[in-house]
Amino acid sequence: MARTGNKNIQAKLVLLGDMGTGKTSMVLRFTKGQFFDFQESTIGAAFFTQVLSLNEATIKFDIWDTAGQERYHSLAPMYYRGAAAAVVVYDITSMDSFERAKKWVIELQRQGNPNLIMFLVGNKVDLEEKRKVGNEEAEQYAKENGLVFLETSAKTAQNVNELFYEIAKRLTKKVPSRPTGMKLHRRPQETGRRRQLPRFPQLFVRMLVYQIELHCGPSDLKIKAALNEK
Amino acid sequence: MEKKRIDDYEPGPLPSPRQLDRFGFVKQEIHNSQDGLTKGRSAYEFDREERRVRNWRKMIGVGGSDWKHYVRRKPHVVKRRIRKGIPDCLRGLVWQLISGSRDLLLMNPGVYEWLGLFKSAVILSNHKSQVVEVDPQLVIYETSASELDIIRDISRTFPSHVFFQQRHGPGQRSLYNVLKAYSVYDRDVGYVQGMGFLAGLLLLYMSEEDAFWLLVALLKGAVHAPMEGLYQVGLPLVQQYLSLFDRLVKEHMPKLGEHFTQEMINPSMYASQWFITVFSYSFPFHLALRIWDVFLYEGVKIVFKVGLALLKYCHDDLVKLPFEKLIHALRNFPEDAMDPDTLLPMAYSIKSTEVSCANQLIKTWTRIEFLSSSSYPLEWKRAAMEERVGVLSSTFSMD
Ligand SMILES: Nc1nc2c(ncn2[C@@H]2O[C@H](COP(=O)(O)OP(=O)(O)OP(=O)(O)O)[C@@H](O)[C@H]2O)c(=O)[nH]1
Ligand SMILES: [Mg+2]
Repeated sequence: MARTGNKNIQAKLVLLGDMGTGKTSMVLRFTKGQFFDFQESTIGAAFFTQVLSLNEATIKFDIWDTAGQERYHSLAPMYYRGAAAAVVVYDITSMDSFERAKKWVIELQRQGNPNLIMFLVGNKVDLEEKRKVGNEEAEQYAKENGLVFLETSAKTAQNVNELFYEIAKRLTKKVPSRPTGMKLHRRPQETGRRRQLPRFPQLFVRMLVYQIELHCGPSDLKIKAALNEK
Repeated sequence: MEKKRIDDYEPGPLPSPRQLDRFGFVKQEIHNSQDGLTKGRSAYEFDREERRVRNWRKMIGVGGSDWKHYVRRKPHVVKRRIRKGIPDCLRGLVWQLISGSRDLLLMNPGVYEWLGLFKSAVILSNHKSQVVEVDPQLVIYETSASELDIIRDISRTFPSHVFFQQRHGPGQRSLYNVLKAYSVYDRDVGYVQGMGFLAGLLLLYMSEEDAFWLLVALLKGAVHAPMEGLYQVGLPLVQQYLSLFDRLVKEHMPKLGEHFTQEMINPSMYASQWFITVFSYSFPFHLALRIWDVFLYEGVKIVFKVGLALLKYCHDDLVKLPFEKLIHALRNFPEDAMDPDTLLPMAYSIKSTEVSCANQLIKTWTRIEFLSSSSYPLEWKRAAMEERVGVLSSTFSMD
């Protein structure tokens, strides 16, 4: 099924998973070939790009590497919204991180787009002697949930490039063969705009009134009038 | 597993002093040793620096005894001097004075030590200083969850700084102690990624206990708006600040604002760390320090202003870039943009009704928080709070 016209695909990819599972390390291994024993924690999110050429297409990844701690959860939707592929990472030496990965999978299934390609990745296989999450267990879970499953090591580079090639391959299959400039970003215009960020300062004032009512009972304050709210 | 990681002591090779910059960070090759003051200094500059330190010493008095008096008498002199940068040798002390953390420390003798001893039986509830009874199992679980997060992050906070580099060395230990103490002190917030950078920065200038109280002063709002909203569940304050910043960009740089809208760029893609860590994460250290000087005295508005100044400085490049390049540029500002002596004057010159409105909102919020937890009579409290909000609303309906 060789195709002469080379496709150009741009795809948004997001990495999710517990803190310290190796998301940043994996991206750095893939994009720069680097690895650090003490990788700085990610605050907020980080962005990387990388181009991969396959026989049938050239894929340009826009990669969002998110912060792993539970507390940052509320920022995550804006990174996975409109993504073509999601990589959920856990650390094979931590059962907690596997449980957390399952929660991500559920959230993505519930909120993400139905065409999203999802990968489940168990990282740090170089620490085999400390393994807590069995290969079969994860594989079984992945199968039941329609995820592609891989075990990797950002440290030794095992399976890291393979992971991104696999993603690329699946993306090319999804895209109808059109010669150039396909974008797999679902530009978050429609979904993004509807959930507007809180209005400042109206919201703030409302919070203040709420605070008053919480502590002193109903307040007569005519905030709405004062702010000319509709 | 985690336990073991803590115990196996690996004294990694320490870098030689020549590989470090003047703040103790390992130099990166690309980073051509431009770290602020290391450029050849003339005798004149040296003299001027000496004089500056002398003036500062006079201003704060022995151990900070004259500080409050001076601030009350000449707030504008203080502001001007702080904007020029606090002398590095006095920074730690002055930070404690302007943040109000010194007072907290004096008002709470022994508390820090006590927090360190704390296992998990009773928890000091934040600012209400009462002992709360909670299901002990729940508490144990929660504390240890914070603790595990802290442990996982310790070696990942300023990994290129000589003080924090050594596995279980004094730097990592004090970082752990401060963060752990805070997570016990303020159970609602606990430990949140990003706090480590605040604590780390502070620890380079003061003792553990002082750093802890400064962290408390910042998060609980001893002087300025409390920062705890940046770290609470849902990150409510981060969301507020980002949406305000978005509007400020559009107000001050309409063309860039328009370009951002077209390219689907919003501030949460590049600015959340600015607010969460007050520029202490992935910014040149000498710039971060200068921002912190002003931040502690003037409050969060400087973070908005520095952010705007960065965009302004790079404006003409930014408006030409497409999405990916734009994101990259917004996370990797050129070195000349990050020179404090260029950037900060630009930041100071940004005047905004929105920023002052924001400040006012935040002040009102702090006041109301204070009133609501106070023990004044209910009716009085309500009247006082309503008056505050009334004043605020009338300022808004004016514009
Ligand atoms: N042994 C081993 N260590 C790894 C591997 N991948 C990452 N690490 C280490 O694990 C730690 C965390 O890695 P990060 O890549 O920062 O993890 P993260 O998922 O980005 O974490 P957050 O940014 O906190 O969400 C770092 O100290 C890495 O050196 C791996 O494959 N094997
Ligand atoms: Mg990371």
